[in-house]
Amino acid sequence: METTLRDFAFVLAFAVLAILFALIAVLIPRFIAPRTVGLKTESIYECGMDPFGSAWIRYAALFYLYALIFIAFDVDVLYLFPVATSYVRGGNPEEFIALLVFVLLLVLAIAYAWGKGVFRWKYEGR
Amino acid sequence: MRRWLREQFDRYFGSDPVRLLFALGGLFFATLVVLALLYWVVGKVVTAGLEAWGWDLVRLLLGLLGVMVVVFGNALFLVWAERKVAGHMQIRIGPKEVGPYGLLQSIADSVKLLAKEIITPRFVDRPLYLLAPLLIFVPCLVAMVVIPFDARLQVRDINVGIVMILAFSSLTVLAIFMAGWGSVNKYSLIGGVRSISQSIAYEIPMLLSILPVVMMARSLSLKEVVEAQSPYWFVLVQPVAFLIYFVCAVAETNRTPFDLPEAESELVAGYHTEYSGMRFSLFFLAEYTNIFIVCALATTFFLGGYKGPVLPGVVWFFLKTYALIFVIMWFRWTFPRVRFDQLLNFSWKFLIPLAMANLLVTGGLLKL
Repeated sequence: METTLRDFAFVLAFAVLAILFALIAVLIPRFIAPRTVGLKTESIYECGMDPFGSAWIRYAALFYLYALIFIAFDVDVLYLFPVATSYVRGGNPEEFIALLVFVLLLVLAIAYAWGKGVFRWKYEGR
Repeated sequence: MRRWLREQFDRYFGSDPVRLLFALGGLFFATLVVLALLYWVVGKVVTAGLEAWGWDLVRLLLGLLGVMVVVFGNALFLVWAERKVAGHMQIRIGPKEVGPYGLLQSIADSVKLLAKEIITPRFVDRPLYLLAPLLIFVPCLVAMVVIPFDARLQVRDINVGIVMILAFSSLTVLAIFMAGWGSVNKYSLIGGVRSISQSIAYEIPMLLSILPVVMMARSLSLKEVVEAQSPYWFVLVQPVAFLIYFVCAVAETNRTPFDLPEAESELVAGYHTEYSGMRFSLFFLAEYTNIFIVCALATTFFLGGYKGPVLPGVVWFFLKTYALIFVIMWFRWTFPRVRFDQLLNFSWKFLIPLAMANLLVTGGLLKL
């Protein structure tokens, strides 16, 4: 079974339909929904108080570390899919050894992050 | 505007009716010419399309129609079922007024949502804010292309189907973050940040739990994965992978033990706080479709898909899928919400090592 461009024409058609549908769904209320304009209609929601300060607040830098290990990981895990497709049942033990080495290298990434204290969520000196 | 038009009209045609006659005649002939041209062009395109595509075109159109029916039917049913299940678990009745057993409740709800005012807050980052609800819907429909509802009931059997679904499901994260960042609201931003770190943390064990299945089926096409489960379902040989997949599925759809991105009691509604009316319901629709998709994939990978005795395949497929969805709803009223560091560390410290060990054990056992 070959992957052809036509396969992805199906995917493209569905993606376009999704956007078209969403557009229509958003456009319909323009014709039937009421419109009101009050003093606070267009202000953002902050539980009824007047919003203060910038909304783009600072958040924990820890999220960046999680994002970094994810990038190190996700791309590598993707390499395992072709391996899994051509993994033969029985025989050829070197295939398993290759898999073992690859996965152990990935484990090293987690072990490193663990050792560095990424998963600890404690602020030092507080 | 209308008055100006009227003045112009009077200036040109008011004094001279014959001029009006000529103008109308000209307009008539121009319309005829344009229609003829359109007919010719559309005819050419359709013939060319049919010649190149043949039955695939019919398949595509029927598929689009069928998938829309499944998406809407599923969302309407799940909104009702969610409230009914919640009701009965709390010894209430749930919706019962609209239609028999309240079955028409979700139709009434969707009509209400259509008639709601759409408000765009003043200071939003407009491109991101407006694009997010459109984009969140794309992965839902695209995933439907390759899901095998029955042995022959599948829009298109793409031979890299699994990778394609996984690739497109990452788009959801992007849309959620666009919504969270573009809303310029503190709750939305925190919801977006949480959602993105949760989704990427649980995407890896999900990939790792699908890998043993691919190893045993030796194919990335969903239909062949189902066909490979002929003597026994993969859940019997891969129980650990199934559990990991299911936990990740609950996390990826932001359902209750892991619903921190939209925790009502702390973040109002998370990333879709600022969305109203139809835009909000697009997020809602995408969420319910995603629940259906992850459960349909769990059915396909581990529960034998459409395989089953006596009843036709479609019935089996939907039975298994909705049984899984019921379990997810059950979770919601059983487990309290976890803390955020517990949520992330559960994936990184426990699920990923477990999934890797499972992968290695599978690889080793296959070689014996």
